Amino acid sequence: MTVVEPVETYEYFTEDVPNAKLETKKLDFFYGKNKALYGIDIGFKRNAVTALMGPSGCGKSTLLRALNRIYALYPGQHAEGEILLDGENILDRNQDLGALRAKVGMVFQQPTPFPMSIYDNVAFGVRLYEKLSKADLDNRVEESLRRSALWTEVKDKLQTSGLGLSGGQQQRLCVARGVAVRPEVLLLDEPASALDPISTAKLEETIVELKADITIVIVTHNLQQAARVSDNAAFMYLGRLIEFAKTDRLFDNPKARRTADYITGRFG
Amino acid sequence: MVALAGIVTLLLVAVLVISALVAILGNLLRARKLANLGFTVFCIGGATLAIVALAAILASLLANGFSGINLAVFTQDTPAPGSQGGLRNAILGSIAMCFAGMLIAVVVGILAGTWLAEYAGRTKWTSAYGSVVRFINDVLLSAPSILVGLFIYTVLVARGVPLLSFISLGHFSGIAGAISLALLAVPVVTRTTEDVLRLQSRQLRESGVALGAPLWVTIRSILWKAASGGMITGALLAFARISGETAPLLFTALNNQFNGLNWNPADAFGLNGPTANIPVVIFNYALSAYDDWRRLAWVGALLIAAAVLGINILVRVLSAEPKRS
Amino acid sequence: MTALPADQTPKGFAKRVLRPRGATFDPIFGFLCGAAATLLLAALTGVMISLAIGGWPAFAKFGPAFITSTRWNPSPDVVGGEFYGGAGPIVGTLITAFVSLILSLPIAIGVAVFLTEFCPRILRRPIGIAVELLAGVPSIVYGMWGLFVFAPLFAQLVETPVASWTPPPFMADFWNNIIIGDMVPNGSGILSASIILAIMILPFMAATLRELFLTVPAKVRESAYGVGCTPLEVVMSVTLPYVRRSAIGAVMLGLGRALGETMAVTFIIGNAHIFPKGVFAGGSTIASTIANEFAEATTPLHTAALIALGFVLFIITFVVLAIARALLGAQRQA
Repeated sequence: MTVVEPVETYEYFTEDVPNAKLETKKLDFFYGKNKALYGIDIGFKRNAVTALMGPSGCGKSTLLRALNRIYALYPGQHAEGEILLDGENILDRNQDLGALRAKVGMVFQQPTPFPMSIYDNVAFGVRLYEKLSKADLDNRVEESLRRSALWTEVKDKLQTSGLGLSGGQQQRLCVARGVAVRPEVLLLDEPASALDPISTAKLEETIVELKADITIVIVTHNLQQAARVSDNAAFMYLGRLIEFAKTDRLFDNPKARRTADYITGRFG
Repeated sequence: MVALAGIVTLLLVAVLVISALVAILGNLLRARKLANLGFTVFCIGGATLAIVALAAILASLLANGFSGINLAVFTQDTPAPGSQGGLRNAILGSIAMCFAGMLIAVVVGILAGTWLAEYAGRTKWTSAYGSVVRFINDVLLSAPSILVGLFIYTVLVARGVPLLSFISLGHFSGIAGAISLALLAVPVVTRTTEDVLRLQSRQLRESGVALGAPLWVTIRSILWKAASGGMITGALLAFARISGETAPLLFTALNNQFNGLNWNPADAFGLNGPTANIPVVIFNYALSAYDDWRRLAWVGALLIAAAVLGINILVRVLSAEPKRS
Repeated sequence: MTALPADQTPKGFAKRVLRPRGATFDPIFGFLCGAAATLLLAALTGVMISLAIGGWPAFAKFGPAFITSTRWNPSPDVVGGEFYGGAGPIVGTLITAFVSLILSLPIAIGVAVFLTEFCPRILRRPIGIAVELLAGVPSIVYGMWGLFVFAPLFAQLVETPVASWTPPPFMADFWNNIIIGDMVPNGSGILSASIILAIMILPFMAATLRELFLTVPAKVRESAYGVGCTPLEVVMSVTLPYVRRSAIGAVMLGLGRALGETMAVTFIIGNAHIFPKGVFAGGSTIASTIANEFAEATTPLHTAALIALGFVLFIITFVVLAIARALLGAQRQA
């Protein structure tokens, strides 16, 4: 454990993750001239779930959006520092964004099924990068829907519109869509916040199963959810990483006062 | 009958004037109830007058138009003065020019609307340029159509612009007509495309890109698809707008006594020459002294109005659909 | 955890292409979209420049007289030769547009108020839709109706009685010079054209105003009724002030339509190339002059004069539309 020197008035307690799949080094992020992240150093453990927590506006979603450079859609936004995916800096100017995003998938807060059939939703990303035979593509779609625990519910109506599914099913469809391109990392931005408790439970099950071969980063404001699904957890506040540790340790024995306040519900 | 309607209208106008005076007088005298009474009568009278006037227009259109319709209207070409004939060539010419114009307008309008919605906001410079284009589009949206006709005339028909004379056709043609109609339709398509694309959620846009899809694939396969209902509505409205346009065709397509259309691509399917079209036929025939021509003018007006109203009703039916789901 | 077949290990990316399908076209697509947007800009600039160039010979030859003179003489054989002064059509355009606005605006407000305040609920939607549909009827239909139905009626019921009335001496000058002019009681003239224009822009303005009125939150209106306001007071002190800027913008759009309208006017204005001599007298507008004479223009100067008139119309409508957009746009952002 490293105890970082307090900057300004905050204490910092972070742990190193050896051999991390994805890590950031001194990551600063800017919305135009406004700085939103301050020197974030965090490692995301290979084939594990890392939860990012914190009050609204703490920068957890911003950090997530930096990891697949989705922010590059908006030219006013930029990141400084390093983000290493298997040791390669993805902030590099020559990084091909399409290839990066095929490796680092993302699921959003609101379910976003595409206006096409369930089958085409799942096959959309696959068709972009791989030339598969009809049979192989069918297999891939089935495999992805099984992994996101949606297969039994939709196997008889693959050709109907994805917009006809319930909210929870739509969100699992989005997970299947993300899984289908076989990403190495999957970023989840408050994926359960628009879902009912039963759908949430199913989604959490899916997340735990997926970590067998995918590195997962999940942003959540639901502490119980973070405790249930994650291996490591980070607490962020005002654009800074306050505490980062194994999830059990963070919840049982928070070292920073702000983390303790947050998880005991004193603010946030 | 007609005179009676006229007298009723005059009476209505009198009621309007009197009620307006009562409202103003009541206001001055601080007689609130009186003022309100005058105002209420004015509003109801105004609505009645408007409905009467517009119903009168539709009624005379239906009466005169239907009485002139027969099979010859659709099977024979426009006649010489005093002889029998139909509107076949004008109908075909109008359809051909409108479709050709829409083809151009849909391509240009959708691309321009997409640029305004998806690309313009990217940097300070493009968004400034975007607001200029948006303003220009709004001006074009309500610019007098006769000026668009004059523009196409000077550039494409008359070799009026020195540096651009190489693109001029040098004569009246259906192509010039179609282009002037396209120029009137483009702003409508652009505007609606931009509006409906902006209604799509940011996350839908991002989830396409997050799968590694190039931006244009995301736009084409996801955003356009999600916005297709609104975009079809816009195209239909544009079609309705240009199908009744007369002024720009006066100087571009002109008219043609005979069926100019043919299946020869080298001749642009007949559009590479003066092309008959309903609006200009109406314009010429309505001002003529021949009863047959006037009859055909009414028929043409009925056909155009029916087409435009039909398209508008279709738009309503189509755009009411998604609200149910 | 669902087991994966051995040959489909997700770690491998051997089969995967580095760039997704369609990546090459991405910048081209962005460029095409930008080019299409630029085409719009080019079109409007093109309209302005081509009209300026096409009309230049007339501007150059007659100078300010092109705007101020009322002498419009296309024939080279008459004494003084060809001469083009556009004051008649220019003033005719402005007068018909403004008169039509004055006629239709109160009624449009009345219709919009009727539809939002007085109309029985069951009729609101049908009438509202009917008004919107009528806003799309092509203007040539209004023109034909004006020529064949309205004009004879107007001549019989209004112009003939007006012509036969002898005004008392104190207002004889006003009556003969401002109202009657050189009226020919055949139903055509400045006033007839204005009325047809008013009927034409009425559905458009009523539909737009109705939509604006519907944006006033029900709570605001209801609380005004709650303190005992009459419908008149609600409309005057709540609804209209609430939508003021947009409403002015909508009116300007209606004005823009009236200024540039060709077909509804050409059939019925009388087509006299003179400075209008009275409300009932014949006249012309820029659009009607161009529509009538363009095909018959024999000399290059005549064509140039017509295009120059078009340029003047462009400037007038551009200013009106710019003001309308500025007012509507400001509301949209607020």
